Amino acid sequence: MEFEKSYAIAVKDMKEVFSSISIYGPMIGVPIFFSILLPILTFYVTIYAAPAIVARITQLNIIPSGLSGFGNISFMTYFSVSIMGPIFLTMPILTATVIAADSFAGEKERKTSEALLATPVRISELLYGKILASFIPTIFLTLGVFAIYGGITDALSLNAFGSIILPTIPWLMMIAVSPFLAIAGIGVVVLISSHVRGIKESQQISTLLILPVLVMPFISVLGIAALSFAFLLHLIIFLAIIDVVIIYVGVKSFRKESIL
Amino acid sequence: MQFDVKVKDAVKSFGNLKAVNKLSFDSVPGVNIILGPNGAGKSTLLRCIDGLYRLDNGSLKVMGVDPYTDNGIRTRMSYLSDNYALYDYLDVKSNLKFFGRLYKMNDRNTIERSREILKKLNALEYFDKKVYELSRGTKQKIALCRALLNKPDILLLDEPTAFLDANSSESIRKLLQEFSEEKKTIIWVTQKLDEVTRFNCRVAVINKGNIIKDSTTSGLYSTILRNSFVNIRLASPIKHEIAKRIPGFYSSNSREPNAIKIKIRKYSDINKALDYLIDKKAFVVSVDYIEPLIETLSWRNNGV
Repeated sequence: MEFEKSYAIAVKDMKEVFSSISIYGPMIGVPIFFSILLPILTFYVTIYAAPAIVARITQLNIIPSGLSGFGNISFMTYFSVSIMGPIFLTMPILTATVIAADSFAGEKERKTSEALLATPVRISELLYGKILASFIPTIFLTLGVFAIYGGITDALSLNAFGSIILPTIPWLMMIAVSPFLAIAGIGVVVLISSHVRGIKESQQISTLLILPVLVMPFISVLGIAALSFAFLLHLIIFLAIIDVVIIYVGVKSFRKESIL
Repeated sequence: MQFDVKVKDAVKSFGNLKAVNKLSFDSVPGVNIILGPNGAGKSTLLRCIDGLYRLDNGSLKVMGVDPYTDNGIRTRMSYLSDNYALYDYLDVKSNLKFFGRLYKMNDRNTIERSREILKKLNALEYFDKKVYELSRGTKQKIALCRALLNKPDILLLDEPTAFLDANSSESIRKLLQEFSEEKKTIIWVTQKLDEVTRFNCRVAVINKGNIIKDSTTSGLYSTILRNSFVNIRLASPIKHEIAKRIPGFYSSNSREPNAIKIKIRKYSDINKALDYLIDKKAFVVSVDYIEPLIETLSWRNNGV
C-alpha cells in the first residue's frame, strides 16, 4: 500500500470536481444557500409562529422533557439543534455521494478507468484515493455549512434575545457525526458503483441514504429519543462500526472488471 | 532479458460468450500484430494480458508473472486503446503528471519525459491546453505519450490509430517503429489490414477467440493477395482495346479509361500489368492495392 498513489488519485479527482463551476457550483451553492436561509426562517418562525406551534405541540403532549419553559429562546434552541441539525447532517451524505458516484461510476462512464487500471495501482490504493477525494471536500463543506448556520443563528439570537444559542454539546456532536456519515455514504457508493452502469444510477440509489437521517428530527419531535450527547455518541460508535464493515466489504468485493 | 508474454490455453468468457477460447500465444521481440474482425476476441485478449481481466482457465504470464495479481508488472508494461482515456477537464500537463505519479515518477521527470515524447509527436504546443479543447488525433497522441511515460518494455495497443487522420496515424506509427527497434515488445491488435502492411513483423490472425494463423506481414500478404484487386491510375487515357489486354483486366472507368481495376493472384501479376502498360507507352500515376475487409476474408479458402 503506497499512500502517495492514493493521494495522487484524490488530488486528481478533486481537481476534476473543482475544474468546472457547473460541477462544483450546485454542490456547494445549495448547502450554503440553505445554511443561510434556514436559520433566518427559524428565527422568523420563533418570533412569529412559535406560540401557535408550541400550543399545538403542548396539546399533543410530546414536548421533550428538556424544554419545560419553551419560551422563544428555548424554542429557537430546540428548533436550531434538533430540527435543523439533522437537516444539515444530510449535507455530508449528499456531497459525499455526489462526488463519490462521479468518481467511481464516472471513471466507468467516461472510460478512463481502463487507463487508470493499466497503471501499477492496487485496488486498495485506488479505493482509498477515491474515498479521500470524496471525504476531504465533504468535511470542509460540512464545517463551512455548520459555521454559517451557527453564525447566523447566533447573530439573530444575540440581536433578538441578547444571548447566543450555539454551540451546544449536541450541536457539536452532530458535527462530529458528519465524518462518519460521510464515510458510510461513500462506502455505500463504492459498493453500488461497482454494480451499476453509470453515474445517474449510482447517484439515484445513493441519495436514498439521506432517508434515515431525515428521520432524526421526527424522532426528536415525537419524543422517541432526544438528540442528546449520549444518543449522538452511540450514533457515532454505531456509524464507526458500520464504516469499517462497509469499507472492508467494499475493498474485498471490488473487482477491476466492475469499473471497466 | 526478453520482454515476453506467454499465453497458454487461455479462456475468458462473458456469460455464454467465449471471447477467448483456448488461445495460446507467445510474443516475439518487436511488433506482434494480432489481426482479426470485430468480436474476434482481440481486445479481451489484450485486457487479459494487461491484467484487467482474470482468465477463467489457462495460464498467462508477462515476464514470468501473472499480471492480474501482480500489479508491479504494470510498471514495465503499458496499455493504449482506441479510446484516449484522458481526463477532459484537466490540462495535458496535469493528466500526464497524474499518471507519472502512479508510476512513482517525480513531476520534474514526468514533465521532461512528456515534452520529449510530445515533441516527437508534434504535439508539444498542447501541453498546457485542457484535454476537451483538443482534437481526437491530438488526444490520442497525448494518450500515447502517457503510455510511454514509464518507458515500458511491453506496449499493448488496441487499435490506437482507429479514428485518426493519416498524419496523426503516421506520426504515431513512426514513434512506435522507433520503440520496437529497441527490441522491446509491442502487441498491437487491429482489424485493419492496412495497418499490418506498415510493419515488417509477426502477424497472428485471431477469430472466434483463437489464433487461426501465425505468420508474418509478407507471409500473410502472399495469402491475402490471391484473388484481390489493384487500381491503376494513368496520367492520360488509353484505348479500350489496349486496356482490355492488360493481364488480369477486370474493369475500367470509361471507354477510353485512365483508371483500371485488375484482378491479381500473386505479387508478380502487378508487375506484369505494369510492364504491359509501360510497353504501350502509358504513364502510370499510381498503383493502389484495394484492401479487403478483414470480415470478407475466408482464411480456410486461402489455404490458411
